[in-house]
Amino acid sequence: MIELIGSLFILAGAIFLFSAGLGLLRMPDAFTRIQAGTKATTLGNLLVLVGLAIYHPDWTFKLILAIYFVLMTNPISSHALSRAAYRIRTPMTSTTSVDMLAEDEAAGGEPGKKPGRRKRS
Amino acid sequence: MLSLWIVLFVVWMVANATLAPEVAVLGAAITLALAYVFSKSSDAWRQIRWTPAGLYHFAAYTGTFLVELVKANIAMMRVVYAPRIDIKPGIVKIRTRLKSPIGRLALANTIALTPGSLVIDIQDETLYIHWLDVQTTDPDKATEALAGPFETHLEKVFG
Repeated sequence: MIELIGSLFILAGAIFLFSAGLGLLRMPDAFTRIQAGTKATTLGNLLVLVGLAIYHPDWTFKLILAIYFVLMTNPISSHALSRAAYRIRTPMTSTTSVDMLAEDEAAGGEPGKKPGRRKRS
Repeated sequence: MLSLWIVLFVVWMVANATLAPEVAVLGAAITLALAYVFSKSSDAWRQIRWTPAGLYHFAAYTGTFLVELVKANIAMMRVVYAPRIDIKPGIVKIRTRLKSPIGRLALANTIALTPGSLVIDIQDETLYIHWLDVQTTDPDKATEALAGPFETHLEKVFG
C-alpha cells in the first residue's frame, strides 16, 4: 500500500516533468520556454522526491534537504538564464504586448539600449 | 551568527545521517567557521526575525507558496496542452515593500515559481517581471496580482 502511494507520487512527478519537456518544445520564444521549464520541473522534482521519501522513510530528512535545494536553486538559475537572454536581446515572440524594462531603459537615457533595437520575431 | 551556525550544523548532521561524535565535532568546527565568515562579510542573515511571529509567518508563507505552486503548474499545463497556444506575454514592473536583500531574493524566487511570471531584472525596489499572460500594465495592480499573497508574510519574516 505504501509502495503504491509512493509510486503514484513519482508518476505524478513524471507527468509534470513530461509537460515541462513538451512546454519547451511548444512555447513560442526563449522566455516562455524558460517559464514552462522552471515551474513544471520544480513541482515534478518535488513530487518525485516526496515519492522516494514514502518508499524509504529513513531517507526523509535528506530528501527534505534536497527539496529545499531544488526550491532555492531552480528559480535562481531560471532568473540568470532569462536575464542573460534579455541582455543579449533575444527576440521575443510577436504576440508580446508590453516591455516596460526596455521603455524604462530608454527613458533612463542609457545609450545603446533603445527599445527600437530589440527585434521581434 | 548563532542562528546561522545552528542552521548550518543541522544541515550538516542531516546530510551525514549519523550521530558519531567525531563527525559532529568536525561539523561544528566547519559550520562555525562558515557562519563566522558569512556574518562578517554580510549582514543579510541578521535581518531575519527569529521570533514566534516570524516563524508563524514563515510557515504560512510556505503553505501559501505550495498552493500557488500547484496552481501555477495546472495553469501551465493548460497552456502547454492547449491545441493552439494563445498567450500574450510581456514584461511588466512591480514595486515591492520589502527592504532587506534576502527578503527580495525570497520574493523573486517565489515569483519565478508562481503563475506565469519570471523575474527578469531587479533595480532597487522595482522588479521587472516577464508575465506569460499580461492582464494589467498598471504597476500597483500587477504588484497585487503577482506579489500580493506572499509580501505580507515575507515582510514579517525578513523585513
